[in-house]
Amino acid sequence: MIRETTALMVRELKHWYRAKVQIFMLLIQPIVWLGLFGQALPLKLPPAALNGAPDYMSYMSVGMLAVTALFTCMFAGMSVVWDRRFGFLNKLRAAPIPRGSIPVSRILAAMIRAVISALMVLLIALIFTHIPGLAGLTVTSNFDILSALGMLLILVLLATAFAAIFVAIALTIKTQETLFAVINLLNLPLMFASAALFPINSMPDWLQAVAKVNPLTLAVDGMRQLLFSGSVGIYPLWVDILGLLAFSVVLVIIGIVVAMRALKEK
Amino acid sequence: MTVIIEVKDLVKVYNGSIRAVDGITFDVAEGEVFGFLGPNGAGKTTTIAVLTTLLQKTSGACKVCGIDVSKHPTEVRRSIGLVPQEMTVDDDLTGRENMMLQATLYGVDVKVAKERIDELLALVKLEEAADRMVKTYSGGMRKRLELSEGLIHRPRVLFLDEPTLGLDIQTRTTMWEHIRELRKNSNMTVFMTTHYLEEADSLCDRIGIIDKGKIMALDTPSKLKESLGGDVISLKISGEMDFTESIKSVDGVLSVKKEDGSYRVKVLNGETVTAPLLHEISKKGGSVTYVSLERPNMDQVFLEYTGRSLRDAEQSGSFDRMAAARQMRRSGS
Repeated sequence: MIRETTALMVRELKHWYRAKVQIFMLLIQPIVWLGLFGQALPLKLPPAALNGAPDYMSYMSVGMLAVTALFTCMFAGMSVVWDRRFGFLNKLRAAPIPRGSIPVSRILAAMIRAVISALMVLLIALIFTHIPGLAGLTVTSNFDILSALGMLLILVLLATAFAAIFVAIALTIKTQETLFAVINLLNLPLMFASAALFPINSMPDWLQAVAKVNPLTLAVDGMRQLLFSGSVGIYPLWVDILGLLAFSVVLVIIGIVVAMRALKEK
Repeated sequence: MTVIIEVKDLVKVYNGSIRAVDGITFDVAEGEVFGFLGPNGAGKTTTIAVLTTLLQKTSGACKVCGIDVSKHPTEVRRSIGLVPQEMTVDDDLTGRENMMLQATLYGVDVKVAKERIDELLALVKLEEAADRMVKTYSGGMRKRLELSEGLIHRPRVLFLDEPTLGLDIQTRTTMWEHIRELRKNSNMTVFMTTHYLEEADSLCDRIGIIDKGKIMALDTPSKLKESLGGDVISLKISGEMDFTESIKSVDGVLSVKKEDGSYRVKVLNGETVTAPLLHEISKKGGSVTYVSLERPNMDQVFLEYTGRSLRDAEQSGSFDRMAAARQMRRSGS
């Protein structure tokens, strides 16, 4: 099980790092967001309204990390659909491997890609702060190794949860067009009904209610508490982490069950 | 003779109405190259999909290597290799990486796999391209890589679904050579499907002619052709002498008909009889001025058993059936 899963996961990752354009596009997006969107929308809010972030760009940069993880996981589904199209999925189904290794390898690969992408965005945001004329992420907490591990844990949990949903969706859906439609249907609401880009206090009640249970909110809320001193979270840090853990466990289980059903011979 | 594939009354119905496979029964012996010949949509690929555990049968019984396909799919998967119709090798990996992935999926030990990969890549003449990305390969190279992937775990039965579909004639011939080589060097059983008559004829020990989900005839290529009456060699011999008796004395000659100065010789196998026949005539002092060999080809055989030529069958309604069946197979999987 472990050997096959690793081999399949490595295959996915090789695809990814060999498709240089794909990585480039993935990074271009947050750069554009941080570089343009942030400049064009100079929200002047006090740190208290921004989860303790010193300025809006710092606030939004954290949101971008989480959104990048979300987008990367979404597009992990595309490769599943391609593999079906080209018969590779059938080749796997004909191989004497535990069927579970198919979704698990995908989820792991998507998660690793998402975490690496998010960390690259983090790096860009940190560099941007020091470039005159640009704004980025200013860390104000005593960021130590424990905070770093906390950030990593949050990103891993968030990415695992999203990877599981999108891999399961992609295995159930047969065509690329449908997958695109589903992705588009999900990505904007997920992104905007969360604390990723805007503080939720200013949202109408119903939207706030949705945003409060969005895993993206849990992730950015937790990360902001680790990055900014005096950050008062929507939830305490441990609730954010436990919440994300619960999300990822449940979604991985659902994801694998759905995937196994989709892979079963008819 | 060990029976390695046993199929009894296999039926596969898609969506409750399309009978892609309609009650077929056949056995394949170990070490045999067995071919299903039929037009697109005849049920060949569906049969392979059931035998390789990709599809659940509707009814009937299938055993591969003595193991029930529906009851113990994983055991069956371990002992078979599948080279599917589609090109499933991974474009973004090198040839060697593709092979290694396949080896891992089939549980081949890394050290053993490395040796076998070199060996197999040499067999299909891809050593030089081994470390190139597959996206730089030609169609024929991909197909060869695909074939060698199917062999990495030394399967007892290799399933080849349309192994030369879409390949040019030269590449097709190379594929045939590879398959023949395999046949010579191992006791592996090959189950293949094709809609190329000459492919079935030249590769298979036995052929099942399949049409509309039913087996219409099943025998060796030569017997199938024989059943139509054998090959015909036409000869012209100069001079007045009658060579009828000398021609009849040659092994494999079934009958001789003399019309004016030319002879129509019916033989079992034209290719092997022609040379001894010419030799015999010249030994008797005859001088042959014209030779031609007409063979009852598989198309005639196909016509005989299905009532239409393969080309017609491809063009008629079964094509739509195939499209429908394929669509369903895709979405079902």
